[in-house]
Amino acid sequence: MGNKSILVVGGGISGLTAAVEAAEVGYEVYIVEKNPYLGGRVAQLNQYFPKLCPPNCGLEINFRRIKNNPKIHFFTQAEVTGVSGQEGDLEVRVKINPRYVNENCTACGKCVEVCPAERENDFNYGLDKTKAIYLPHIFAFPLKYVIDSRACRGKECGKCLEACAYGAIDLDMQPKEMALKVGSIVWATGWNPYDASKISYYGFGRYKNVITNVMMERLASINGPTGGRIVRPSDGKPVEKVAFVQCAGSRDENHLPYCSGICCLASLKQATYVLEQNPAAQAYIFFIDIRALGKYEDFYARVKDNPNLHLIKGKAGEITEDPETKDLIVVAEDQVTQKLMKERFDMVVLATGMVPATREARPPVEMAFDGNGFVVGGANGVYGAGCVHRPMDVASCVQDATAAALKAIQSTLGR
Amino acid sequence: MISVNPHFAEKLKKFGAKTSYDCFGCGTCTAVCPLTSDENQFPRRFIRYIQLGMEDKIKHSLEPWLCYYCGDCQKNCPRQANPGELMMALRRYLTSVYDWTGLSRRLYTSMAWKIVSVALLFFGTLAVVYGFSGEMVTDRVELETFAPAHIVHPVGYVFGAVLAFLLLSNVYRMYRFVLGPYAGAIPLPVYLQELGTLIVHFATQARMRLCTDKSRWLKHFLLMSGYFVAFMLVNIDIVTRWSLTNEPPMWWHPGKLLWSYASIAMLYATTDAIIGRLRKKDPIHQYSHSTDWMFLILLWCTVFTGLLMRIFMELGLPLPTYHTFALHLAFTVPLLGLEVPFTKWSHLAYRPFALYFLRLKERALELQRPEGTAVGVQGAQG
Repeated sequence: MGNKSILVVGGGISGLTAAVEAAEVGYEVYIVEKNPYLGGRVAQLNQYFPKLCPPNCGLEINFRRIKNNPKIHFFTQAEVTGVSGQEGDLEVRVKINPRYVNENCTACGKCVEVCPAERENDFNYGLDKTKAIYLPHIFAFPLKYVIDSRACRGKECGKCLEACAYGAIDLDMQPKEMALKVGSIVWATGWNPYDASKISYYGFGRYKNVITNVMMERLASINGPTGGRIVRPSDGKPVEKVAFVQCAGSRDENHLPYCSGICCLASLKQATYVLEQNPAAQAYIFFIDIRALGKYEDFYARVKDNPNLHLIKGKAGEITEDPETKDLIVVAEDQVTQKLMKERFDMVVLATGMVPATREARPPVEMAFDGNGFVVGGANGVYGAGCVHRPMDVASCVQDATAAALKAIQSTLGR
Repeated sequence: MISVNPHFAEKLKKFGAKTSYDCFGCGTCTAVCPLTSDENQFPRRFIRYIQLGMEDKIKHSLEPWLCYYCGDCQKNCPRQANPGELMMALRRYLTSVYDWTGLSRRLYTSMAWKIVSVALLFFGTLAVVYGFSGEMVTDRVELETFAPAHIVHPVGYVFGAVLAFLLLSNVYRMYRFVLGPYAGAIPLPVYLQELGTLIVHFATQARMRLCTDKSRWLKHFLLMSGYFVAFMLVNIDIVTRWSLTNEPPMWWHPGKLLWSYASIAMLYATTDAIIGRLRKKDPIHQYSHSTDWMFLILLWCTVFTGLLMRIFMELGLPLPTYHTFALHLAFTVPLLGLEVPFTKWSHLAYRPFALYFLRLKERALELQRPEGTAVGVQGAQG
């Protein structure tokens, strides 16, 4: 009989699902999450498929299940540094980085008022800044502040220490190491958006109004940098004409040779954000093929009839910027009208693809990968779940994670 | 009605089109192409034609000649389908279609034909030179005694006339293919009015300057101007004996300076192209068809032996001069005989003629249109 506990690496929608499923049938579960909050990429969305709910819908339910279940233990700002042993009897070494804020934090926010240092807000993909002490986002779970040690000026400053009435700030906090004994592991570290600056001819990073689809989610989000107003990063002007450039990196032998699967629907969805906010706005989607898989064809059929949505069959070849207005000019071959298109836009959204986190950060445990860094198969008590397997939407991640939880349970039984 | 050849893509492989089916038709190539226009769209559309087997349509198209292989498409193609090389393969294919003798197709598609043809002309020339040569004077350089002008020059003219006939008859076939349905609708004055296009593009290859990388035009112009100067000098010499005499003139003699320019310009441009094709760094040099190598090697050897011969002449070395002269002719004959009417070098005619025919076609369309209708020419779009 193996050790009847399971380690879940990654606290996004896949990791949370696997953890809750395993715990609710009686297994001890440890979640190790790199960020200072749970919820992963889903927490950064504005709406998600299939029902276009805001992310806190699905996440809140999971957080409640975690809070109410004594069998689930989670560690944020934590990472797995090593694994030894064999299936059914694994020893995992975990490093927990300091939060510099302890259990006493009530999230009152007094510290932020006095903090003089700023950091780029990675939750909003760098669209705005936070103080060095910050709450990751308003629905963050756990609802506790955190200090970014790279931005914090340290004890010499110490203003937050004085401002905090609860003694919640501890600038001496040190990294901690610990060992966990588990029977099996679910690896659910998710994905990263493809680095769009590598597609040089689209100008991301050079042109302010070229953003990526994940940034668009933040712009449209009520808890995002603009409070949900979709405006141009260069001048804050509401967006009236926006281009979505599909396959920015995906289906491209020079970048990601695979189809990222979710970007067509994401752009169709994001076009509705723009068109609903401003009924006079125009949205263009430049595509190779629209891939609305399975029953999502329905959504495509519904959205495409909007007269202000223009679907252009033809991949965008190049984006240039008008240096005066910061408008963007997209060139493409419109294969339906058979014209070469040179169209001016307020903003361009690159539909960047999904890169499995395992491509950059290989797990410190034996696992098999394909050429793109996706996990293939599962063995020796370690199973992938969610987007480390292939690009997936939220619903598919939930199913995949449930399956991974079952595999992990079987491993603890020594099967 | 347009007929379709389902085996066309397969057939094109021998012309260097190996990636036709890799294309998924996204149109990136057309979008980034500095030379395409609304009226004459490529490369995507032509890759699609290849995939569909629209051989007939391609045969009657000018677009492959409007592509100058800048290579922007090649760099950005998400499928690494090499659109530029596919357009290049279409030009090779069209060259073989225009040629009525069938030799072009054989040279493009058969290694044996290439090797045998080059060898035959090479050794045949050597045999003729040594068979009919005069005395080899050894105390000083007397090239004209070794190669008597009264034999070399008439043979040269007959050779030149045959090549010109072959190339121009192929150009006429090209004209029938691409302007067939319009030819009758174009009045003679229009042919004359548009001659400027032909001359300008023949002399300058100005269209290549529309490519993003301008240095290519300069290299190409060096090669082409070097060749043109050499060609003219040979003819002037034959008629006027301006620089080709037994007594080498002084270094500042204009004939000599022009020869030096021609040799160095051509040697530089061909060496650069050979290095480029070996390195495979630039899109245009990534893929080499066997005929590309054949052209470069023959041209390089011709220029090099020509230069060497002049050096030996300067140094007053009789025997080396005679033998390199024989070698020079042995490279020149297959170079001109096979490249000008049948393979790569024929583009010296097809490219400017394509632009000329395009203008004629546009004029024909204008004439067919009712009065007052604007015509989009050369694809300026907003």
